[in-house]
Amino acid sequence: MVEIFDYDLVIIGSGLAGLRASIEAAKTGNGKLKIAIIAKNQLMRPHSISAEGGSAAVLYTDEGDSFDLHAYDTVKGSDYLCDQDVVEYFVRQAPLDILELEHWGIPWARRDDGRVAQRPFGGHSYPRATFAADRTGFYEVHGLYDTMLKYENIDKFHEQFVYDFIIEDNKFKGVTAFDIPTGEIRIFKARAGIVATGGLGRLFGYTTYSHLVTGDGLAIALRRGMRLKDIEFVQFHPTGLVPSGILITEGVRGDGGILRNAKGERFMEKYAPTKKDLAPRDIVSRSMMTEILEGKGFKGPNGLDYLLLDFSAIGAEKIKEKLSQVREIGNHYVGLDPVDSPLPVRPSAHYTMGGIDVTRTGFTGVTGLWAAGEAACLSIHGSNRLGANSTSECVVFGKIAGEDSAKWLLSDISTINLSEGERSHAENFVADAYKDKGDNDPYEIKRVLWSTMDKDAYVFRNERDLTEGLKIIKGLIDRSGKISISEKGNVYNQNLIASLEMKNLVELAEVVVNSALERRESRGSHFRTDYPKRDDENYLKHTIAQRANGGLQITYRPVTLTKWKPEARVY
Amino acid sequence: MDTITVSVYRRDPSLEKEGKFVDYEVPREEGMVVLDAMKYIEKHIDPSLSLRWNCMAGKCGSCSAEINYKPSLMCKARIDSLKSGKIRVSPIAAYPLIKDLVTDVSENWALLKRIPKFTPREGLEKPWRISQVDIERSKEFKKCIECFLCQDVCHVIREHNSDYFGPRHVVKAASLDMHPLDAIDRSEFMNKDAGLGYCNITKCCTEVCPEEIHITDNAIIPEKERAVNLSYDPLAMLVRSRRNKGGKK
Ligand SMILES: Cc1cc2nc3c(=O)[nH]c(=O)nc-3n(C[C@H](O)[C@H](O)[C@H](O)COP(=O)(O)OP(=O)(O)OC[C@H]3O[C@@H](n4cnc5c(N)ncnc54)[C@H](O)[C@@H]3O)c2cc1C
Ligand code: SF4
Ligand code: SF4
Ligand code: FES
Repeated sequence: MVEIFDYDLVIIGSGLAGLRASIEAAKTGNGKLKIAIIAKNQLMRPHSISAEGGSAAVLYTDEGDSFDLHAYDTVKGSDYLCDQDVVEYFVRQAPLDILELEHWGIPWARRDDGRVAQRPFGGHSYPRATFAADRTGFYEVHGLYDTMLKYENIDKFHEQFVYDFIIEDNKFKGVTAFDIPTGEIRIFKARAGIVATGGLGRLFGYTTYSHLVTGDGLAIALRRGMRLKDIEFVQFHPTGLVPSGILITEGVRGDGGILRNAKGERFMEKYAPTKKDLAPRDIVSRSMMTEILEGKGFKGPNGLDYLLLDFSAIGAEKIKEKLSQVREIGNHYVGLDPVDSPLPVRPSAHYTMGGIDVTRTGFTGVTGLWAAGEAACLSIHGSNRLGANSTSECVVFGKIAGEDSAKWLLSDISTINLSEGERSHAENFVADAYKDKGDNDPYEIKRVLWSTMDKDAYVFRNERDLTEGLKIIKGLIDRSGKISISEKGNVYNQNLIASLEMKNLVELAEVVVNSALERRESRGSHFRTDYPKRDDENYLKHTIAQRANGGLQITYRPVTLTKWKPEARVY
Repeated sequence: MDTITVSVYRRDPSLEKEGKFVDYEVPREEGMVVLDAMKYIEKHIDPSLSLRWNCMAGKCGSCSAEINYKPSLMCKARIDSLKSGKIRVSPIAAYPLIKDLVTDVSENWALLKRIPKFTPREGLEKPWRISQVDIERSKEFKKCIECFLCQDVCHVIREHNSDYFGPRHVVKAASLDMHPLDAIDRSEFMNKDAGLGYCNITKCCTEVCPEEIHITDNAIIPEKERAVNLSYDPLAMLVRSRRNKGGKK
């Protein structure tokens, strides 16, 4: 049984980007557009709720912050791989959109005079992270969700697993999904779509990402011949808690926490003499791994050797008052209270700088299709994102994608006809997935994928490891086509979902590793021990990966520079 | 190998009339939580097990269940904090079952939609000025992760024979009412339309809230009190006589 819905706009994903897009599309459409927002889990529980630290925006130009300063910090942080025109636009828009959130009930922290407070964040040369306690993303999601509820013409679909976009003759026509609670297949026909499915963090075993961030939107885009940009750049957050990988916020170092090796040395003094423990994430992560590889770490479980995050300079009072969540995590996950013990940490996969190649308005190049949030690559973050820039990006560009797509819909009057081929493809996809095709275990494939990525595509990379990793991944792609889904029931079949997610992940792994192999330089989060220098002459350009003629094609595109010429990146 | 035994409720209502508890042996690991045991079962013993989870950190509110009869988040329930012996895991019982540990909590989406939205006062000078104390007051309620454990434990909700929205929804109303710049009062709505009068302040909801929101003291009682002038509620009046008036200034 296939159920067919008819919409003007379908938004895939209800993280910050998808929610913000839905509101703006409804506003712009002014009651004239039928909008659906769908997600694979319950709409108010996206990965975005995990964002803790803050959202960057220039609020106090009278006190020394400026658009140019925010832009420059972002450009420098990106190791010059961002498009500077987009960054300049972003920093000007962010304050308006961040302040607007307060009118939707988001409880921004306050200064004594009642104005919005901001805190320092790694790589930002001015304290411009707007925050709501240590749960910024959570409050943002709930505030946006509540606001969305005000619009009658947005239909909400929880727990729909999207497995394909319908694109014919380069025109978007809708998405296909199954309803997880019933297993029923659904075609969401739509004249326009916005992909807001988030990053690909669960490509790694050791990660701060939530369970459901499996890059589905990116994998579907790739399969449908769309372009993925700069996908080799994955941010590793310095302080993942060993052994789970769960995030210990950068705020700890902001408040005076210090990283130490097994000899008790404050090693960051050596690598970043000025900013020390608060240098940008890529630099801190590399410094940590250098220490670990030089044998100055502690032996950890499953090869997860670690260093220590020392809280003693912060003081018990301040820890109890300001870092209650970290205390809870420490107590809960490793049985250690930071008040009297350091925590074991190691860099953990945290953010996907690359994504679907889009223009400044989020347009993908496929007629009727936009992308926003972590799934999109607008080239704001280049090769290394600054903390607090991502939630702001989701809000700013989610809004623009919503507005732009709605305006286009109001001017476009074409109707959608699905070809017989597309319809039967949608119908047969799940039936086909259920067919026994071999005895490979999807969970085992995922485990091998994780250990491969954690080893070969981690903080330090080189030709040999990447080639080795690629070989393993190709084997996994082959095996992923020869699996059996043992559970055949229609209702809430997690075995089916896990298998489809695994397939998406192995296909994306090939792109990440391939793009990383081809980039023979070191820039931002991508460090090649065999090419340890940045090479602007050959690689000041974006990687574009696309499926073509049955293979993966890698090409390059120039970076847009406006005010800032590349210079050495020292902190 | 040191193992634990987890007894998990299993039922696919589309195929089975009755549910059953199935015992699984899971390796014990230092610091493990009930959700780890569930993940182990799904990956290594029986992939047909259905459950919801996402953040693994007590923040998304997906993984609600009853653990040894107590409504809890599976990702926060440490095995070593439970009494020894078999661990019993069943779905939250206040809502219809979808499968195994997954329930249909969607009636809550409709209820939430009915609570009057945040309505800022008119003519406020921008950007707004709010004091941190006021932010803190509404934040206690905004912390709610919508796990619905409080709904699960509430006897009024479990009995399904009143129009009471339930504690989560009172928390929602309180979060909006406590916003210093909000212009409307939801207490009348909560008492008249949302059946708050059915709550007899047993405090069971407060006990299970993983966010440690003082649901009864700080949300329910003030909402009842403010409406007490509008409708006669003896219990709230009793409470009121013992407390100073809280809530909105
Ligand atoms: C622990 C942590 C802390 C962070 N802290 C900060 C911070 O302080 N500041 C900051 O700026 N950034 C932070 N980030 C980054 C930031 O949270 C994310 O980049 C951002 O929230 C991504 O939002 P999104 O809307 O793009 O996607 P997500 O929030 O990931 O949402 C994706 C949506 O797509 C849906 N979806 C995915 N696949 C499918 C499918 N197949 N079918 C249907 N639906 C699907 C999901 O259900 C979900 O609704 C942090 C990240 C982590 C991991
Ligand atoms: S205090 Fe009221 S809402 Fe809470 S459990 Fe008791 S009856 Fe239910
Ligand atoms: S009030 Fe507490 S128990 Fe109830 S839904 Fe919210 S977080 Fe859960
Ligand atoms: S998995 Fe998110 S609350 Fe338990």
